[in-house]
Amino acid sequence: MTTARKPSDARILAIDDEPANLALVEAVLTREGYRYFEALTEPRFAAERHLAFKPDLVLLDLMMPSIDGYALLDSLGRLTGEGDLVPIMVLTADTTIEAKRRALALGARDIVTKPFDVFEFALRVANLIELRLMFERLTEETPQP
Amino acid sequence: MVQSVSNWWANRPLATKGLVVVAVPLLIFLGSVAALYSISRMESRAEQDVRLTIAIQNDVNEVHALLAEASSGVRGYLLTGEPRFLEPYDRAEQLVPQVTQRLRGSIRDAEASVHLARIEALASQKREGLSQLVAARRRTGADVVSDPTITAGLAANKQVLDALRGEIEGMQERERELLAARQNRLDYVRFNGLVMTGLLTLAGLVGSLFAVFLFSSGIVRRVQRLERDAVLLAQGEALDEREAGRDEIGLLAVRMTEASALLRAREQALREGEERFRLVIEGVRDYGIFALDPQGKVVSWNTGAERIKGWTSDEILGRHFSTFYPGDDAHDRSMRNLAEAVRDGRMEDEGWRIRKDGTLFWANVVITALRDEAGELRGFSKVTRDITERRRAQEALEHARQEAEQASTAKSLFLSRMSHELRTPLNAILGFAQLLELDHSGRGNTDAASIDQILRAGRHLLALIDEVLDIARIEAGKLGMEIVPVALGETIAEAVGLSLPEAESHGITIKHSIGRVAPVAADRRRLLQVLLNLLSNAIKYNRPGGDVVISAQVAGEQVRVEVVDTGIGVDPGQAGDLFQPFTRLAAGAARTEGTGLGLSLSRALIEAMGGAIGYSPRADGSDGACFWFELPLTAPSALPDLLPVRLPLPNHTADHPLTILVVEDNLANAQLIEAVAARHWPEARIVHAMQARLGLDLALRHSPDLVLLDLHLPDMDGDWVLRELGASFPDLPVILLTADAIAAQSDWTSRGAAAVLTKPIDVPALLEAVEQAIMERES
Repeated sequence: MTTARKPSDARILAIDDEPANLALVEAVLTREGYRYFEALTEPRFAAERHLAFKPDLVLLDLMMPSIDGYALLDSLGRLTGEGDLVPIMVLTADTTIEAKRRALALGARDIVTKPFDVFEFALRVANLIELRLMFERLTEETPQP
Repeated sequence: MVQSVSNWWANRPLATKGLVVVAVPLLIFLGSVAALYSISRMESRAEQDVRLTIAIQNDVNEVHALLAEASSGVRGYLLTGEPRFLEPYDRAEQLVPQVTQRLRGSIRDAEASVHLARIEALASQKREGLSQLVAARRRTGADVVSDPTITAGLAANKQVLDALRGEIEGMQERERELLAARQNRLDYVRFNGLVMTGLLTLAGLVGSLFAVFLFSSGIVRRVQRLERDAVLLAQGEALDEREAGRDEIGLLAVRMTEASALLRAREQALREGEERFRLVIEGVRDYGIFALDPQGKVVSWNTGAERIKGWTSDEILGRHFSTFYPGDDAHDRSMRNLAEAVRDGRMEDEGWRIRKDGTLFWANVVITALRDEAGELRGFSKVTRDITERRRAQEALEHARQEAEQASTAKSLFLSRMSHELRTPLNAILGFAQLLELDHSGRGNTDAASIDQILRAGRHLLALIDEVLDIARIEAGKLGMEIVPVALGETIAEAVGLSLPEAESHGITIKHSIGRVAPVAADRRRLLQVLLNLLSNAIKYNRPGGDVVISAQVAGEQVRVEVVDTGIGVDPGQAGDLFQPFTRLAAGAARTEGTGLGLSLSRALIEAMGGAIGYSPRADGSDGACFWFELPLTAPSALPDLLPVRLPLPNHTADHPLTILVVEDNLANAQLIEAVAARHWPEARIVHAMQARLGLDLALRHSPDLVLLDLHLPDMDGDWVLRELGASFPDLPVILLTADAIAAQSDWTSRGAAAVLTKPIDVPALLEAVEQAIMERES
């Protein structure tokens, strides 16, 4: 079975405690033509929403008051099963090199510091969506045992 | 005189003394024997004389008797004519000569000899008379009376006989006198002999006593004295120098005296040494130095110990040193310390100890076991220092450090939150402004200009936030600098490259003249930031169509970088304020973009990297500014002092050199590794790749002995390279290099890595890891 999904079909889950940022992200993504977007301001429900929504890309704010962003990053990474690839892009206001290293070490595919350039952000999202779709195609074309 | 004799006697050898001591009584004995012999000889001679006198008297009497009897016989023959009366005459004829002969032989006395001569003459006259009478009788016969010759003969005979008698009487008298005299002499000799015997006995006695005296004075007493001296010597007392003979005993005494003197000299030296040592030890005030016996009892004490612990030596000597330990388990702890000192030879401890007055002090204690030559434990030396002040200072320092750390952590947290809190709203502002800009672009309405203002203001605010936070981080020491060797030329080239668009937009030409410069010690990213800031200033404050010249040259241990522009320069009076925040001096600053923090930040960054930054007017005197900074060089020659020199690794020769593959995209790090290798393993060959795939190719081509692999490579990640290497070379040790402290904590060894090193590279750790990996491979 082949489902040639288009990038615009990609499902994007954004987690950020700041509604204004979620609104910006949604505005940018909508403008780029993405149709399936879910925004979450309460990170405690992140795992639940992740399982329910089955995103192709997760946009994650690292600095949220109610939870340790790195722990959340780690646990979201683990939600993705063995042999699957759901890229996580970290959006953070922490510009330190340590934050970048740590996020990448914990499995983030990309990291964008806030405030971000919307064009750069859009292009990075497109890259990760492309990665996700290519991976999907690859696993579907590979005969399953 | 007596003294000299005594000396003479003392100086005789022992053999002579022994001979004398034995000879004296022997000689006296022999003398006595000789004297007794001679006395007895004299006595027997005297007795012989007496016996001879008596024999002479008898012989004289016999001559007289023979002649008298012969005379009577002749008269009888004359009367009777019977021959039997002639018998006495015949006998006299025969015997008288014999007797007189015998007398002549035995008489020595002169007077007696005269008598004897007369007696002999008279005797022969008598015998002559008698023979004439006998002859006349024979001739005449019986009638003798009538014969006148006979009568005359008889009468003559009678006269001769009388005369003879008279002689004999005289002789007898003489002999009696002689006898008496000889008897007297005999008595005298006997008496003398008695006296002599007595005297000799006495002499023997005295001689024996003298010999005993000699023996005693010459040998026994001196040996006894020697023995007493030996006892004194054994007790370590001094022997007096005294007159001693030159015999063996005397020499022995001299030797003993010398030995005593030597002993005394050594004792003196020892005592002086000990005294000095004791004075030094006792005089030390800053260290408590004392000795313990093997059980831990105090046996010596010094001023320092008294000062530190408060006990005087009288009070503490003999007490167990656990007295100095506070707490109920003082004895156990003290004995554990002793046991440790016995086991290891010494032990060092720091901890609370207690003074006499009960106060505590923080002590540094070294206990050393003292052993004699046989290895027997003789006790302990204990050196105690009161380092309470240091301890307090350390504690205060630690406290201050903790407080500072807390403050720093709090500040850091605050900065982090500030950053987040400021950036988060800016994200929405700038983001939406960008979206609005997209929607309104090209329409040329007033909204576009407004949106542009929002974006400019927002970006300016963002730059301000970034720089303020950077400055604050530097001040808090939280900037996380990675000071590594940085290739300055490349970094400047990169900065120039990044600045070109801005320069072009201002019509400015950037020139750079960089010679060969050794790497500088810097954080590459921050160095780039400073260069960009200076270049940006030089572009912005330049005149249109102007130049910017950036140059670098080595000045001693430093590299000086200068950025010179052709603008209007800086008013010398205001140059000092250039590096203050929000100082924008140049003309037209109001319309120039910038936060006003760039130079402050640059200065903070350069100073945090151990360098200096400054401004000076152009050297050629023309308009324009010259900003410069200096950074320390990291010449490879500076490395050796920090590093121990290693031994060459085994089993690698010129034919088969140790080959190390370095897969690292950071050129400066690769150069550092090469510099370290060149110094420590000069025989090693270094193969360098900046990309993962090239690294694998090189590994296949060179079969390295070791791989140093950067985890963050431009083309593939290090994890992949590690797997590929593991598949091709199962035994090849791979040391991972990573700047990511979190990545370093992963379990790389289970994935085949020999070790993981974090950047910036710690050279000793690198050396150790490489050598351990090589050793394991060799074995």
